[in-house]
Amino acid sequence: MNNIWGSMEQYDPVVWNWIIAVYLFMAGLSAGSMLVAIGLKWYKQSRGLPTEGLPVIKAAAVIGPVAICLGMALLVLDLTKPFEFYHILLNYNLTSVMAWGVIALLVYIPLVFVFAALVFEKQVLHYAPWLAGVLKVCGQLEGSLNKLIFALALGVGVYTGFLLSAMISYPILNTAVLPALFLASAMSVGSAGNILVATLFFSKKESDCIEQVHRIEYPVAFNEALCLVLLFVGLNFSGPAAQAATAAITTGTWASVFWIGVVGLGLVVPVLASTLAPKAWRHSKGFLITVSCSTILGVLALRHFVVYAGQSYIS
Amino acid sequence: MTKRYVLVHDENKCIGCQACNVACRSENNVPESVTRLQVRIEGPYGNFPHLHFKYNRVSCEQCENAPCVKVCPTGAAYVNDDGIVSINENKCVGCLYCVAACPYKVRFINPETRVPDKCDFCKESRLARGEQPACVSVCPTQALTFGDANDMTSEVRKVLDTKPSYQQKVNLGTEPRVYRIPSRRGGIKA
Repeated sequence: MNNIWGSMEQYDPVVWNWIIAVYLFMAGLSAGSMLVAIGLKWYKQSRGLPTEGLPVIKAAAVIGPVAICLGMALLVLDLTKPFEFYHILLNYNLTSVMAWGVIALLVYIPLVFVFAALVFEKQVLHYAPWLAGVLKVCGQLEGSLNKLIFALALGVGVYTGFLLSAMISYPILNTAVLPALFLASAMSVGSAGNILVATLFFSKKESDCIEQVHRIEYPVAFNEALCLVLLFVGLNFSGPAAQAATAAITTGTWASVFWIGVVGLGLVVPVLASTLAPKAWRHSKGFLITVSCSTILGVLALRHFVVYAGQSYIS
Repeated sequence: MTKRYVLVHDENKCIGCQACNVACRSENNVPESVTRLQVRIEGPYGNFPHLHFKYNRVSCEQCENAPCVKVCPTGAAYVNDDGIVSINENKCVGCLYCVAACPYKVRFINPETRVPDKCDFCKESRLARGEQPACVSVCPTQALTFGDANDMTSEVRKVLDTKPSYQQKVNLGTEPRVYRIPSRRGGIKA
C-alpha cells in the first residue's frame, strides 16, 4: 500500500539477519569447544592421566581457531563499510557490549592459535621450524595460557548473549537469561563439534575419550532447557509487550524453528539418543556423527530463532 | 549541558499534511528511498459518527539517555553540549547496532553514505544559522514548537508548562526530548 507519509521499508524491526545468527553460532562453537577441551584437560591432569594427543583436544584445536575466524569474516562482510572495519579496533566506547567483545576477541583469537600450535607442535615445527623458540616459551606458559583462554572463552560465550540483550526494546532479547542460554548452548555445540571432528578425523579407537565429553552433555542440556523455560516464563510476567512476545513459540515460522530445531534436534534427539539407544550403538561412528550433527543443527536453529523472533517483537 | 533542545508536537493542531516530511527531505537532501521524518495517520478511532485519526510523528526522539549512543562500539554515535544525538561518519563502521537498538526505529542506513542517518533538528544548517528546523518553520498549523527548554523565556517552555504532554515509551527510561500534546478527542476503550 502507498502511504501518504511514504515507504515503511526502513522501519523493518529485523535489522540484524542470518549473518549475525551464524556469527553468534560460530563464536559459541569456538568458545564452547575451547571450554570443553580445556576442561577435559584439567580433568585428566587432576587424575594424573595423560593428555597428550587426545582426539577431542585435537578437534578443539581445529574448531577453536577456524570457527572464530569464519565468524569474524562474516561479521566484517556484514558491515555497511567493511573496508573501514579497523575503526572498531581504534575507538572504544566502553558502555558498548560490542566494544568489550572486540577487546575479548582481540586477545582470544591469537591465543586459540597458540593453543592449536601447541597441540599440533610436531606438524607446525615440520612446516615452520623457525617457530621453535616461540613455541618453547608458549609451552612453558601452557598452564597459565589455558586458564586465560578458558576465561576468555567464557567471556566470548557470554558477550554474544549480552550483545543482544543490550537492545532494550526487544522483550525476548532484553533479558539476563540470554547470556546464560548462549553460554549453555555454546557448551553443547562445543562438545558436539569436538565429538564430530574427533570421530571423523582423529579417533583411532571408537570410544577415544568421548566418554567424558558425553558426561557433561546432560547437565548442559538441562541448563539450556532451563534457560529456555526461564526466558519464556519470565516474559509472561513482564508486562503486555513481553507477554505478546511469547507468541514467538506458538505462532508463525519461528515457532516451528523453535519446536523442531531448538527443542527437537537440539535437546530431545541427543538426550533420547543417549538414554534409549542400545549400548552397542553408543560408540559407533555413525551414531556419534548423527547425534552430534543433530545438536549442532539445534544450536544453529537456536541462534536463528533468537535473532529473528527476538527482533520481531518490539515493546 | 548548556542547551536542551526539545520539540513539541501538538496532535490537536496537526492535520497530517506531510509538509514537514517534504521540507525535511529537501532541507537535508534525504535520498528518496529513505526518510528522517514521517507523520503517520493512524486510525480511525472512536465510534461513528465521532471518528478521528491520530497523527503520530516518527523521527529521532533525541533521547537524553540514548540507547544508540550507549551501544555504539566506536563512539560514532554521540551527544554534544546541545544535547542533540549526532553521528560522526568517520568513526562509523556500519555495524547496525544503533539501528537495531533504537526503540523508536528511527535510524536508517543512508544509501549514499552507508552510515546511519536520522533527524538532527537541522543542526548543521538551519540551527547553526539561528533558524528553526525546517519542519517547524514550514508547518501550516503551527503544530510544532521547538526551542531550548533550559531558557525560561522560550516558547517551548511555556507550552510544556501550560499544556498536558506525553513522551513515547517512557518505561524504557530513554527520556525522549520529543514531547506530544495528546489529542482531546477521546472515547472510551473497552
